[in-house]
Amino acid sequence: MAVDDLIPLLQEVASDGAARAGRGLSGLMGQEIAIHVPNIRVGTKNDACDAVGGEEAVVIGSYLSISGDITGHVMLLFPEPRALECVDLMMGQDPGTTTEPDEMACSAISELGNIVGSAFVNALADQLNLVLHPSPPEVLHDMAIALVESVYAEVLSQGSDVVMMDAVFEDQKGRAAGLLIVAPDPASLGALQRVAA
Amino acid sequence: MTTTTAEARRISVGIGQLAVSRDARDVLVAYGLGSCVGIACFDPEAKVAALAHILLPSSEGKRVDDREPARFADTGIDLLLQRLAEAGAVKRRLIVKVAGGAAVLGAANAEKFKIGVRNAEAITERLKHHGLRVASADLGGTRGRTMELHVATGKTFVRTAASPASEL
Repeated sequence: MAVDDLIPLLQEVASDGAARAGRGLSGLMGQEIAIHVPNIRVGTKNDACDAVGGEEAVVIGSYLSISGDITGHVMLLFPEPRALECVDLMMGQDPGTTTEPDEMACSAISELGNIVGSAFVNALADQLNLVLHPSPPEVLHDMAIALVESVYAEVLSQGSDVVMMDAVFEDQKGRAAGLLIVAPDPASLGALQRVAA
Repeated sequence: MTTTTAEARRISVGIGQLAVSRDARDVLVAYGLGSCVGIACFDPEAKVAALAHILLPSSEGKRVDDREPARFADTGIDLLLQRLAEAGAVKRRLIVKVAGGAAVLGAANAEKFKIGVRNAEAITERLKHHGLRVASADLGGTRGRTMELHVATGKTFVRTAASPASEL
């Protein structure tokens, strides 16, 4: 089974995962969040970051690794202003109260990553009947492309096939509220193929 | 990926790509180098400049992907030098500057994810293999970097999300 044959399965799983992650985000932010159908890419492209503002955009977000039956990477990224807005919404503050990623904001972002990332990982585990554990989230504040590129490099260093899923969240105003990126390690693609067979 | 203004033309050098230019209006830019390393080369006499955006330390056991010709430090640097020579640059005159190789996925993961460190080592090694010395370097740490090379002057600048551009 070629990696390309995995894409329909991953599309289905990722759609469910993104829907659950979106519900988690909606609940935390107290507003309806729309989720675009996830892209499944073999390889990566520089446009993967367009949803959060392009090549040089600075984002705030979190990174979790997945361990268990399969291993991989989950990253939830927000354009800087959206992340600070999320924090205000989560903490019931007026928008604009949080102006920088201070300790309190980082703690909220970490919780956001935990809930949204875990929702996706749990969907993956349920759909594929796998045991998966998300790691505690690490808060990130950096250029979007540097983060995406580093996950791509990590995965590609272990094999030749990189499958990355990305899903864009949109808020009520139709603005890109966040970007969820999930990448299984190459060694886990075999396990996914066995599940799919 | 290319934007044109009256004075400067910024050319984005994406992951695994390289660009060579002799046009003084060009600014070659590698946006958001995380664990990747950017290699800027300039021949001040021939006024030839090149920038490569290297993703991984070694091509050993890896499939070559034509879409990312500068993906690996070893084959990427070989190709970079070949392209520079074709454009009229002379190796012994090259000024080489490097930046990147960070661990950006959080402090707790810096020990686990070593690609940045391995990239930095592999690049230094391969340049040495070609008899090239690194004139200045900004490697490691935990911050992503954007690196740009101005073809008109050969000046190289590095900036991060937290700090403005400074000359390398």
